[in-house]
Amino acid sequence: MNLFASFIIMTLSMLTMPIILTSTPIYESKLYPQYVKTTIFYAFMTSMIPTTMFISSGQEMVISNWHWMTIQTMKLSLSFKLDYFSMIFVPVALFVTWSIMEFSMWYMTSDPHINRFFKYLLMFLITMMILVTANNLFQLFIGWEGVGIMSFLLIGWWYGRSDANTAALQAILYNRIGDVGFIMAMAWFLINLNTWDLQQIFMIHHDNLNMPLAGLLLAATGKSAQFGLHPWLPSAMEGPTPVSALLHSSTMVVAGVFLLIRFHPLMENNMMMQTITLCLGAITTLFTAVCALTQNDIKKIIAFSTSSQLGLMIVTIGIGQPYLAFLHICTHAFFKAMLFMCSGSIIHNLNDEQDIRKMGGLFKPMPFTTTSLIIGSLALTGMPFLTGFYSKDLIIETANTSNTNAWALLLTLMATSMTAAYSTRMMFSTLLGQPRFNATISVNESNPLLINPIKRLLLGSIFAGYLMTLNIPPTTIPQLTMPHHLKLTALTVTLLGFVLALELSTTSLNLKFKHASDLSKFSNLLGYFPTIIHRLVPTMNLAASQKLASTLMDMIWLEYLLPKSISHLNMKSSITISNQKGLIKLYFLSFMITLTLALILTTANFHE
Amino acid sequence: MLKIIIPTIMLMPMTWMSKPHMIWINTTTYSLLISLTSLPLLSQPNDNSLNSSLLFFTDSLSAPLLTLTTWLLPLMLMASQFHLSKEPLARKKLYITMLILLQLFLIMTFTATELIMFYILFEATLVPTLIIITRWGNQTERLNAGLYFLFYTLVGSLPLLVALLYMQNNMGTLNFLMAQYWTQALPNSWSNILLWLACMMAFMVKMPLYGLHLWLPKAHVEAPIAGSMVLAAVLLKLGGYGMMRITILLNPLTSFMAYPFMMLSMWGMIMTSSICLRQTDLKSLIAYSSVSHMALVIVAILVQTPLSYMGATALMIAHGLTSSMLFCLANSNYERTHSRIMILARGLQTLLPLMAAWWLLASLTNLALPPTINLIGELLVVMASFSWSNATIILMGVNITITALYSLYMLITTQRGKHTHHIKNIKPSFTRENTLMMLHLMPLLLLSLNPKLILGPLY
Amino acid sequence: MKPPIFIMIMTTVVSGTMIVLTSSHWLMIWIGFEMNMLAIIPILMKNFNPRATEASTKYFLIQATASMLLMLGIIINLTTSGQWTILKPPNPMASNLLTIALAMKLGMSPFHFWVPEVTQGTPLSSGMILLTWQKIAPLSILYQIEPSINPNLLTTMAIASVLVGGWGGLNQTQLRKILAYSSIAHMGWITIIMVYNPTLTLLNLTIYITMTLGTFMLFMHSSSTTTLSLSHTWNKLPLMTSLILVLMLSLGGLPPLSGFVPKWLIIQELTKNDMIILPTFMAITALLNLYFYMRLSYTTALTLFPSTNNMKMKWQFENTKKMALLPPLIIISTMLLPMTPMMSILD
Repeated sequence: MNLFASFIIMTLSMLTMPIILTSTPIYESKLYPQYVKTTIFYAFMTSMIPTTMFISSGQEMVISNWHWMTIQTMKLSLSFKLDYFSMIFVPVALFVTWSIMEFSMWYMTSDPHINRFFKYLLMFLITMMILVTANNLFQLFIGWEGVGIMSFLLIGWWYGRSDANTAALQAILYNRIGDVGFIMAMAWFLINLNTWDLQQIFMIHHDNLNMPLAGLLLAATGKSAQFGLHPWLPSAMEGPTPVSALLHSSTMVVAGVFLLIRFHPLMENNMMMQTITLCLGAITTLFTAVCALTQNDIKKIIAFSTSSQLGLMIVTIGIGQPYLAFLHICTHAFFKAMLFMCSGSIIHNLNDEQDIRKMGGLFKPMPFTTTSLIIGSLALTGMPFLTGFYSKDLIIETANTSNTNAWALLLTLMATSMTAAYSTRMMFSTLLGQPRFNATISVNESNPLLINPIKRLLLGSIFAGYLMTLNIPPTTIPQLTMPHHLKLTALTVTLLGFVLALELSTTSLNLKFKHASDLSKFSNLLGYFPTIIHRLVPTMNLAASQKLASTLMDMIWLEYLLPKSISHLNMKSSITISNQKGLIKLYFLSFMITLTLALILTTANFHE
Repeated sequence: MLKIIIPTIMLMPMTWMSKPHMIWINTTTYSLLISLTSLPLLSQPNDNSLNSSLLFFTDSLSAPLLTLTTWLLPLMLMASQFHLSKEPLARKKLYITMLILLQLFLIMTFTATELIMFYILFEATLVPTLIIITRWGNQTERLNAGLYFLFYTLVGSLPLLVALLYMQNNMGTLNFLMAQYWTQALPNSWSNILLWLACMMAFMVKMPLYGLHLWLPKAHVEAPIAGSMVLAAVLLKLGGYGMMRITILLNPLTSFMAYPFMMLSMWGMIMTSSICLRQTDLKSLIAYSSVSHMALVIVAILVQTPLSYMGATALMIAHGLTSSMLFCLANSNYERTHSRIMILARGLQTLLPLMAAWWLLASLTNLALPPTINLIGELLVVMASFSWSNATIILMGVNITITALYSLYMLITTQRGKHTHHIKNIKPSFTRENTLMMLHLMPLLLLSLNPKLILGPLY
Repeated sequence: MKPPIFIMIMTTVVSGTMIVLTSSHWLMIWIGFEMNMLAIIPILMKNFNPRATEASTKYFLIQATASMLLMLGIIINLTTSGQWTILKPPNPMASNLLTIALAMKLGMSPFHFWVPEVTQGTPLSSGMILLTWQKIAPLSILYQIEPSINPNLLTTMAIASVLVGGWGGLNQTQLRKILAYSSIAHMGWITIIMVYNPTLTLLNLTIYITMTLGTFMLFMHSSSTTTLSLSHTWNKLPLMTSLILVLMLSLGGLPPLSGFVPKWLIIQELTKNDMIILPTFMAITALLNLYFYMRLSYTTALTLFPSTNNMKMKWQFENTKKMALLPPLIIISTMLLPMTPMMSILD
């Protein structure tokens, strides 16, 4: 075992310490959150060592195997794959989570079960770590499902509220649909390639990979909330804000994208799956951006922006650039976590008010939050030399220069422009203008537990992209030369979005209230998607299960077909048989008939 | 095998001679000891079976089921304590005797070498179960449930007896160990089809197959806690065990005859799990979920690949522990709210947080969360049926989704939400109950470290 | 009934049967039947009431008819073969007549109508004799003329008996009628195997008699003749309830109990003779019997019948009836199954 493996194991085992200590008195004390936070910080520091070594040594990957069991010809092992993706992702995730933990110490301070909350967050992180370091499908699946279940628990944290429970169940339902795809892929690999090990899967050549790849894409669609299975992501905002931050930045939702990145060796030779992926991503990024435009809940805006960015990552995979997609995951983690923290800070300070129409003018009472929110939003839109720029700009440039589906490209560009638009709208409504909230609320943002994590992520949002691209050049080399207009497209559409949104916002301030247009309704009601899918399908399913499965089949047909009809038949026969009135003459008559018949039949048969 | 059977028999006199305050403790402790003595059987280092005598043997298929049986007796005793606390002493002892008798029959069923002996003991398990269900159940519907239970099983299994005797006349032996060398292939003819049906239907009813499952929800709902536990954990598995044993004699007809039953159980799996979505009755929900899980086992056994057999065995053990735990949890709710209606017990997490943790873990194992053995079982079954036909993944997928939904629906309805006023002054959960849940969960978790123990014969 | 008279009558009943069992001369056999029949009449009329009179009259008429038929069969046999000995198989015509006459005496299916009514009309103890001891003599003759019996005739009657016994009992609440129908069904099982393996007939008869004796004694112990009165057993004789349960299940032929032994062996013998449908059908039909036994055990053992407070105390009183035979009978009629391998000598 070399240093890589040992340090990564150390990191992971360090993370499990607070969970093991659940049974000790420390779990009862107030220090537990602090303890968890510090653990994650140390884990982050530890994980930096192998990452630095990895960067400087330029190794391809390190794989460590422990044999678990052999089923027939298939060897199942506990194996970690430490390559570019996992080595970079682990410290990024740890860094972001560290900040989020500190933030939760402020945000959840009044919660009586704060210790359990921290434990859940930590387990959420650990399952994600399992997912990214896994080298076989089974281990990946453990992390995959673990992430899903932990998100269920965390989204439903305020279990007294039925909304939270519904949202949690929704998340699980959509994820579970994706899991079916994952299981199908596992089944396919096992049956056709007889292995779940990643390298072996990549090594073995197979003619038709459409089926497992479709399964994996379905899995990614479920987990990363791509179009069709996206509604759970905005609903997941029912959870506490730190959960949203963690869920949307470095865990859970990026797992789907990560899965596709892991399987890019299979994907890159399959044009059909790539095109499907590309179109799926493009539709998602545009659709969710459209939805974000008219949302009034600040967390929902940010949630839809995540969804849109996930669509962008899928687009990147669709154009065959997994490394860029991965870079975007990492950069996105920083500013998205920060955006959520800022919104959390605002919401908390305004007594749990989430509606941006009831905010406004926050730049005076909350200068620091304002700064961070603006920088985060700018990073999100891909403003040059902020973190988002390094990945997003590259993605759009690559998309522009690749000979790909122009339609998908157009959708992506529109979505990019809309990103700027809704970010502007959010900033405009919350930070600028006149305050529209209750004047008696005292706003302060002086708590270091709030300031420090945001500050840390703020620095990350500014410099992380630069540092990452500086140290780790993407392995697939993007287009280096291109015409001016292509180079500037991304910037142009973003600026266009800014200007338009600003213009519209200032104009609409003085407009009278009118009935919303159809387009606005479409956007505000999330494209009527939840209305249709969340009403129609469950109603039909539940009605079918009630009427068809339960009442018709079980209670009527099966009950009448077997037990009831048999008992009825026997009852009738029994009444007929035992219906004798004690008339001995009749008995003798029947005896005589029987006797005669029997004698005739038997004797006639045997003697003539 | 006698080192398990004789102590089990001796448990009965011990029950009757124990002092009144010691009956629970004595029987629980000693049955736990018996289950410990049965643990070494799990180690089946070679492919051959472990023959104890001409009558009894274990192999890697029966050993896990046997261990599950012995493990369950102390758990049943622990679970029943409250239910029986108001009964007079003699009836308590009778109840315990019935449980012990059931365990005795089950042990011998799982270890019998001879198919006729297997059949007799298979039927023998009906009697104590019937008594437990109808004597100690709660509602009057229990009588109907008992009749359904008895007559469904008997109608299914009497043709089996005739078929077994017929085969014995043909082959000269029905010994498991010999039969595999003596069997002739069954060609595809009408009489052989009937023979196949006669052999399989008994176990299909017991499993139960969709369409023949009506007795199961009724029996589960009406049975007292120990009855539900043993029914879900072991008795249903008798069907699976029997099917796996008898398919050896029925080749190659099975691959032809499997189609309708495969379709029926896949369709039924979806039907029954969607029934779960609409259940208001907690025990009925768990019972229907058992039907749906057992449909997976039927599919696996009918596919007849090594992978599918492994999946079926693992799933049987996993489901045994999980559903038994769910019934215990349902019972602990029932003892407090005196109702099986889920909505009346909502919001219990606020009042009984530790119980909520058990609920959570039980639901998660029920929906086959990795890396539990439930997942390993289900995964192998899905793989096997996928290799049989790719299209089955659609049905399996729908079922996986619905399973997750109803498991969590159950969790949310009982544990989450605002609690109602009438449950404000309920009793806290007892150590006994927590131990009970722990004892269910521990094997589940530990086995997931080394699932090979319960994968059955690794071909 | 005065003891000396009772002893005399009983002696006649027993010796009638003994004569039937031991004689090789058809006339003696017939005489044995007549002795037995005439002597059982006073026993049936032990309680002198109109129902008992009616029952014994019916019994007399039926048995007399059967005896006459028997005589007819004997005479036909005599005219064709010219001898009275039973050792030579009778000719088919005579054999059929004999079979029918004996079936009438046994109360098998087309001739079964009298069984429930006569049993219901008599006291429990007489019913017990009627349904057990009285079966021995006719069956012994059937056993002896077995090689010449027409299998179709006997099998038809046996199947009909099993069906009638099953269906008839479903509709009853009177214990004696239930037992009468159960006896009809058992007669079906006993005779179905007659032509294939008569030894099994004897085994089945033995086990049937043991179980029926035990059941009757239990009922006599609690003096109950209806399901309703039987359901009060739990507060009189709590232990009896579980015994009734076990006995009932054994009568129904559930596997771990003795009642399963004859069923098992019979099914095995039938399958050996390449009959598959027949035993399956019979086994399924036997479930009808199981159903009404189950109903009895439900009312006695598995539910607690509501009762008044002073009824609840009855178990405290010393029971006056002593049934010395009950324990061994119950043990034999429930726990015989593990002994089955020893019965292979019967083959």
